[in-house]
Amino acid sequence: MPTIELLDPRAHGHLRLRAAAAEVPHFVQIVAAEFASAAACCPILFTKENVTGAFFAGAIFGFKPGENLLGSVEERSGFNPLILQREGFFISEQNIAIDREHARFSETEGEPLFDGAQQPGEGLRAIQRTLGNIHQGLEQTKAFIAALLELKLIESIDIALTFEDGERVTLQGLYTVSLDRLRDLDDAAALRLFRAGHLQLAYTMVGSLKQMPRLARLRNQRARCS
Amino acid sequence: MVQAVKRIVIVGGGTAGWLTAGVIAAKHRGRMGAGFSVTLVESPNTPIIGVGEGTWPTLRSTLARIGVSETELFRQCEAAFKQGARFTGWTTGAADDFYYHPLMLPQSFGQLNLVPHWLARDDGRSFCDAVSPQGRLCDDGLAPKTIATAEFEAVANYSYHLDAGKFAPFLQRHCCEKLGVRHVLADVRRVNLAENGDLRSLDTVQAGEIEGDLFVDCTGFKALLIGETLGVPFKECGDVLFCDRALAVQVPYANDAAPIASQTNSIAQSSGWIWDIGLPARRGVGHVYSSRHISDDEAERELRAYIGPAAAGLSARKIPIRSGHRETFWKRNCVAVGLAAGFLEPLEASAIVLIELSAKLIAEQMPVCREVMDLIAARFNATTHYRWGRIIDFLKLHYVLTKRTDSAFWRDNLLPETIPDRLNDLLLLWSHQSPWFHDEFDRVEEVFPAASYQYVLYGMGFRTQVEPSALDGDAKNAERALRENVIQTERLRAGLPRHRDLIRKIVEHGMQAV
Repeated sequence: MPTIELLDPRAHGHLRLRAAAAEVPHFVQIVAAEFASAAACCPILFTKENVTGAFFAGAIFGFKPGENLLGSVEERSGFNPLILQREGFFISEQNIAIDREHARFSETEGEPLFDGAQQPGEGLRAIQRTLGNIHQGLEQTKAFIAALLELKLIESIDIALTFEDGERVTLQGLYTVSLDRLRDLDDAAALRLFRAGHLQLAYTMVGSLKQMPRLARLRNQRARCS
Repeated sequence: MVQAVKRIVIVGGGTAGWLTAGVIAAKHRGRMGAGFSVTLVESPNTPIIGVGEGTWPTLRSTLARIGVSETELFRQCEAAFKQGARFTGWTTGAADDFYYHPLMLPQSFGQLNLVPHWLARDDGRSFCDAVSPQGRLCDDGLAPKTIATAEFEAVANYSYHLDAGKFAPFLQRHCCEKLGVRHVLADVRRVNLAENGDLRSLDTVQAGEIEGDLFVDCTGFKALLIGETLGVPFKECGDVLFCDRALAVQVPYANDAAPIASQTNSIAQSSGWIWDIGLPARRGVGHVYSSRHISDDEAERELRAYIGPAAAGLSARKIPIRSGHRETFWKRNCVAVGLAAGFLEPLEASAIVLIELSAKLIAEQMPVCREVMDLIAARFNATTHYRWGRIIDFLKLHYVLTKRTDSAFWRDNLLPETIPDRLNDLLLLWSHQSPWFHDEFDRVEEVFPAASYQYVLYGMGFRTQVEPSALDGDAKNAERALRENVIQTERLRAGLPRHRDLIRKIVEHGMQAV
């Protein structure tokens, strides 16, 4: 059970911060500013949130839960999703909150959260920047998605794969940008999309689908080696 | 020179009027610049009857085609999901007597008729539960989709229950703001005829004269154009379907977390039946009965007994029902849609689906000029006659399969002279072979598909003779389909949200368009 507490130097002065877990979920939420670096190593797609049905963007690291085909941050050419960097930390209104039970927090291992003057340490300051980037990034992504929805540019995509070992995987509930409808846009809408920086994001997403066969190849290789 | 048909005038602003306006305007949007117009004339003083809180899944595609948002339907029309109908007490009247007519087709319906296989097994499982998950979903009070399912898309097939009094204004806003329908609030004082007997124009009290090329009569029971003006007679069918009165009440929930049923409940009474429909803020409950078999007072007592203590202080609205339809639906340049065309007891929510089908037919076959209109009218009449006939047969089917003998109403329903010939023939046929995909129901856009007949027939204990050796060829596929149904049922029961919870989420967050 997570225990969420507002971060407080008096209550949490004794806590230390360990590195984020190496475990990467097979689908990681990312924000617009990360699209370019994500697209260099994995497919970017939309899916819907369970609670509200709202769209969000994510990067695919594997084809099923627990599968990370892309290895470490180094193997991913340095792509490290913001959402993973801030593990254990949350934003609550204007404040930072932590999950006291999260494995990142320890009383013995890692660097101290706060220095002797109850000021944030190096690690915590990095987290603060990350949380700021996420907050801003989510807003930008939301605006991007809203622009796509308004122009009816999002379409669902069914991905069905059969691997060398005979396993079949069908990925459902995924969406991407429709190239056909993008081409049909009138000039004014296209220009608006371009000026807002959304056109580039849209093409980055579509282009990132080229990573899908690469991911499937990695999956086949892994199966062959095991 | 041909006489172009460009000015469509719809008279009457209920569900029929606005749905027809929306369907025609959406279909002919491209012609609006070129002189094509849709005008809806509505009296500022006539109340809307607002029958039919139940609908068919066709309404989803109709609304999608018109271009409204499903989210807004839920926000503005007090809508809820409908996954079928649950009939209680229709077969024997015993305490455990019920069956479902769900909206999902039986498993593998396109490839395989499961009826004979189910009959041959005779394992005590109801037909509905053997071939469809939907009865169980209704029992569990689950919604037919999740918040992540796109607008108008389904996990389990569905239609809506809605507040008809809010539905018409909802359609009106969309028609006027998005589809370019002209809305004229005026009372019709006189209908003017042309020399050839066609309708030429309407004299209105508030808006002067309104001319038209094609008139759609959506004036409800009044049938101002098709009946009063053109004199098309009404063909009663009270000799087949006896119910001629309804008493309706609105019942509040005990609290705002009470579950909402996602099926229409139809509970047989001594001389009719009670509908019970769950909307988010209230239930609509009504007693439809035959005044030849029960007095109004007694009918109201049965209604109040069904509702229980919650009925105290609620007053019932009496609605006369005249079962039947016009002898002709499209005459000259006037076509009737909705109550002006006819009405039947709301046993299978056929009112709104007939409006949709009629509106679609008019929109798709819209005559280009007066010279071809009579040809289109003849087609329209043939199709619409066929549809009314099939609905009457299908409604009567619910009565002729009863084994109840406890009141004159149920006994009289079995009198041979009250059963249409065609239905008799079908019952004979069905005692030897079950209805399915291809046989009998070959018309485009059949109102009730063969699956509906299957659910009612076998839900009510009808038996078709099965020759075991005839099953062999399909036995494996049938086995697989029945097993798939068990798996699908469990998967859906585990994955679908509670009905009220989903409606709350839709109102709060909205559904995505894709």
